[in-house]
Amino acid sequence: MNQLDTLIHMANQIADNNSHYGTQEEAAARVASHLTKFWARSMKQQIIDYLHSDGSKLNPLAQIAIAQMQSSIRPEPADLCG
Amino acid sequence: MLQHFDPTKDYGTPASLSETLVTLEIDGVEVTVPEGTSVMRAAALHDINIPKLCASDNLEAFGSCRLCAVQIDGRRGLPASCTTPAEAGMKVTTQNGKLAKLRRNIMELYISDHPLDCLTCPANGDCELQDMAGAVGLREVRYGFDGENHLDAEKDHSNPYFSFDASKCIVCSRCVRACEEVQGTFALTIEGRGFDSKVAAGQGGDFMDSDCVSCGACVQACPTSTLMEKSVIDAGQPEHSIVTTCAYCGVGCSFEAEMKGDQVIRMVPYKGGDANHGHSCVKGRFAFGYATHSDRIKHPMIRDSIDQPWREVSWEEAIAFAARRLKEVQAQYGRESIGGITSSRCTNEETYLVQKLVRAGFKNNNTDTCARVCHSPTGFGLKATLGESAGTQTFDSVMQSDVIIVIGANPTDAHPVFGSLMRKRLREGAELIVVDPRKIDLLKTPHLKDAQHLPLRPGTNVAMINALAHVIVTEGLEDKAFIADRCDDKAYQAWREFILDARHAPENVEAITGVPADKVRRAARTYATAPNGAIYYGLGVTEHSQGSSMVMGIANLALATGNIGREGVGVNPLRGQNNVQGSCDMGSFPHELPGYQHVSDDTARARFEQVWGVKLDDEPGLRIPNMFDSAIAGTFKALYVQGEDIAQSDPNTHHVESALKSLDCLIVQDIFLNETAKFAHVLLPGSSFLEKNGTFTNAERRINRVRKVMPALAGKEDWEVTQDLANALGYPMNYGHPSEIMDEIASLTPSFTGVSYDKLEELGSIQWPCNDQYPDGMPTMHVEDFPIGRGQFAITEYVASEERTNRRFPLLLTTGRILSQYNVGAQTRRTDNQVWHDEDVLEVHPSDAELRGIKDGDWLGISSRAGQTVLRARISERMLPGVVYTTFHHPGSGANVITTDSSDWATNCPEYKVTAVQVEKVSQPSEWQQNFRAFEKLQHQLLKGDAATLTDGNGAG
Ligand code: SF4
Ligand code: SF4
Ligand code: SF4
Ligand code: FES
Repeated sequence: MNQLDTLIHMANQIADNNSHYGTQEEAAARVASHLTKFWARSMKQQIIDYLHSDGSKLNPLAQIAIAQMQSSIRPEPADLCG
Repeated sequence: MLQHFDPTKDYGTPASLSETLVTLEIDGVEVTVPEGTSVMRAAALHDINIPKLCASDNLEAFGSCRLCAVQIDGRRGLPASCTTPAEAGMKVTTQNGKLAKLRRNIMELYISDHPLDCLTCPANGDCELQDMAGAVGLREVRYGFDGENHLDAEKDHSNPYFSFDASKCIVCSRCVRACEEVQGTFALTIEGRGFDSKVAAGQGGDFMDSDCVSCGACVQACPTSTLMEKSVIDAGQPEHSIVTTCAYCGVGCSFEAEMKGDQVIRMVPYKGGDANHGHSCVKGRFAFGYATHSDRIKHPMIRDSIDQPWREVSWEEAIAFAARRLKEVQAQYGRESIGGITSSRCTNEETYLVQKLVRAGFKNNNTDTCARVCHSPTGFGLKATLGESAGTQTFDSVMQSDVIIVIGANPTDAHPVFGSLMRKRLREGAELIVVDPRKIDLLKTPHLKDAQHLPLRPGTNVAMINALAHVIVTEGLEDKAFIADRCDDKAYQAWREFILDARHAPENVEAITGVPADKVRRAARTYATAPNGAIYYGLGVTEHSQGSSMVMGIANLALATGNIGREGVGVNPLRGQNNVQGSCDMGSFPHELPGYQHVSDDTARARFEQVWGVKLDDEPGLRIPNMFDSAIAGTFKALYVQGEDIAQSDPNTHHVESALKSLDCLIVQDIFLNETAKFAHVLLPGSSFLEKNGTFTNAERRINRVRKVMPALAGKEDWEVTQDLANALGYPMNYGHPSEIMDEIASLTPSFTGVSYDKLEELGSIQWPCNDQYPDGMPTMHVEDFPIGRGQFAITEYVASEERTNRRFPLLLTTGRILSQYNVGAQTRRTDNQVWHDEDVLEVHPSDAELRGIKDGDWLGISSRAGQTVLRARISERMLPGVVYTTFHHPGSGANVITTDSSDWATNCPEYKVTAVQVEKVSQPSEWQQNFRAFEKLQHQLLKGDAATLTDGNGAG
């Protein structure tokens, strides 16, 4: 599996394992919070880019969650660069 | 009643735990002791030492030698003080003419059948028989050696670590009792009667042919030189000792390293050790020879590419080279293109320093640890449900359990000293429930009550735990008061509704797990109705695509039945390596600073930024598998690996090897040229646990001191190397001793604020949290509340693993460990432990074997979606048909060539425990193995700096 396929697979797997938490909205919030908490910045960016460019291999819950997670991603702190 | 004893003294019989006290008089001294204390112990507690031979305070009194006879006013005869309980008002005399005469006569009889070669005996200076002869004033032996005697008895040298010289045996049976009571193996017996009685291993064969597991308890118990360490026979008695901690498994046994100069003569389990109370296993006691093995890397080495010979250089040059390469990579590929991996085998202080170097020096959060591949789901699952990423109990807590559930763990092999304690409790009558595809040895505990075994299909844990919970809830076996008092109601109601669904009923789950519903119902009832039910689990829980769900499912079960927050209950992860708990505590994970403080927590991060003097990244970094993927994708280019062998221990070897080959700079710090080092550009010599100061934290959160007993072979302790690298990179570190690192940890980690080396000296060990609220630490967690307030039930839907059998891969492979080897085996393979396990084999059920025409010892090709390898067959009925099993202690076996990328949904912990495979008879090693051998040969030549290999050798495949 290439890197993007791995990330898609991971996102779907996280969604599958949280799909029984309440309504779809509640479940999506859990998945989004999981991604926010555990994924590296570069991984988040790649999966967001994929959602916007195609997204077809992501299951519906993962799609909603990634869209939600997008808003919480923090910009790279300027004073770390260089 | 809490009693403090001098751990170096033998009080003769075990302590009584009674709260009732009795007062008596011994030699005119008034003494007060707990009821049930023997007269011998009562005397010893007041420094009145009664002669003894067959008694020892880790064994129940036996009363065979009679040397400990005393006189008690108003009683007839001279009773044995070891078997006589102290009673209120007793008047005891331990020394008078009559007693002296009796004792001399007894000693005379012993000595008359004992070789008088004291001066040349290996136990000279450490022999209780000699001591007692002195103590009773034996001056002559009236009986010659002409009569019948045992002086020509045969010696048994079969065990690699100790020998048995029957001519010296006084038949005190301490060895037999140690094997039964301390170790729980029952390998020894006293054969024959009277003069003919003698100690026998198994059915009269030698030790190696018996059930003996070489724990050494009998050797330690033997008062003479009959059972004796070969290292002492060879090198003589040690002259000083230092207390330290075993570096093998998560039990964290304390040892006295008994030394002659800077040579370890023997390791003796320390009675004052709170995790092991003076017991050990074969690894900790005997397998320390690797530390001085000739394969040790003694000099720093560098090379430009992995097909170049290694060049021995000075420390300065190696560190400068490493720092330059790291900076170049970062300049070219960006801040996030480099990272580091900490080790569960290194100390807390070393682990802390590596993650600090990554976060503060590399300026990113690309730090991870080998716990990724073992207990990361424990961290995730327990934090989500109970609020703390750690087990809830002390080991001793098991002695209060009425029902013990063991899930996916094999304590007698992987956590042997705790396995022995568990067996002791099982012999006392506690009930055992094992949830495991394999019939583990615990099920064969001698004197076990009728145990329950739920042999489920690999990969169906969550279905099973849900079924158990379903029974508890539908049959009204919940602890409603506990739930109302301690648990979050909303989460509980949601979980209750989820678990009540009929799809979780054992009858409906049977088709998934393969375990009959009535067995599941019985197990659930047994656990839920027990006064104290405890759950212990291991990698058979975590190393699954639903590892985290299963950990939460276990916590659900404990919460639902109120089995949390007191002795005898709890949720207990059995950690694999010695410092898995510590490496997780120390902030090794990419999303958490030390003390499990999330990198996005602004307040926590600010404290670290202030003390570390740099700005920190607030987003998580890459985990090990993400590092590999990014390396292959070309965005991750340099890695610093301390004390880990990711090339051997991580799944899907082909993938790992191509990731490692994609790196521009791989820095490996290890005591040997491990599999990962074969892909490295910088090799920095590591130091073994004997060569450094620091602390390890065991599976019960116990922080134990590791003390330096010999100088570091290559001149530096591991933390010093990390410090040098940080300084070379321009991030200053100036610690003079690991205690200063611990002080910094304490200042930044809320659960460690009370920890210091001084406190560790004072208390011996500390179970965290240790802070203002709990100044001496906390043995049992969650007694009053949870760190997250209320216990959180979690919804754990069963999602089948993608690793499924089909026509091409019809069998399920699962992996595990054995007693004598440790993890990737780098240490134990370099000791005599090899005699027990010199190759990994594939265990196949007779019916699967018959179908394929496989016989014991045949070479088998094992193929999965990831790769192929070849192992020898062993026909075994320990697993169900359809399941095959192997260990992963030998690199050439390539067990991880066949394990796949499948991993836990929450943490990416690899699914080592489930791989769909096919097995067939073959006549030669697999292609990977052939390449492995060629590559290994080449790398060993390159280690010798043999440039000639460059022209004729290749094989780097
Ligand atoms: S070494 Fe351990 S298992 Fe072997 S006989 Fe001695 S006590 Fe028993
Ligand atoms: S071998 Fe040692 S411990 Fe065992 S009976 Fe003989 S003297 Fe006692
Ligand atoms: S049980 Fe574990 S810690 Fe104890 S001696 Fe054995 S390997 Fe070492
Ligand atoms: S020590 Fe009491 S009978 Fe042997």
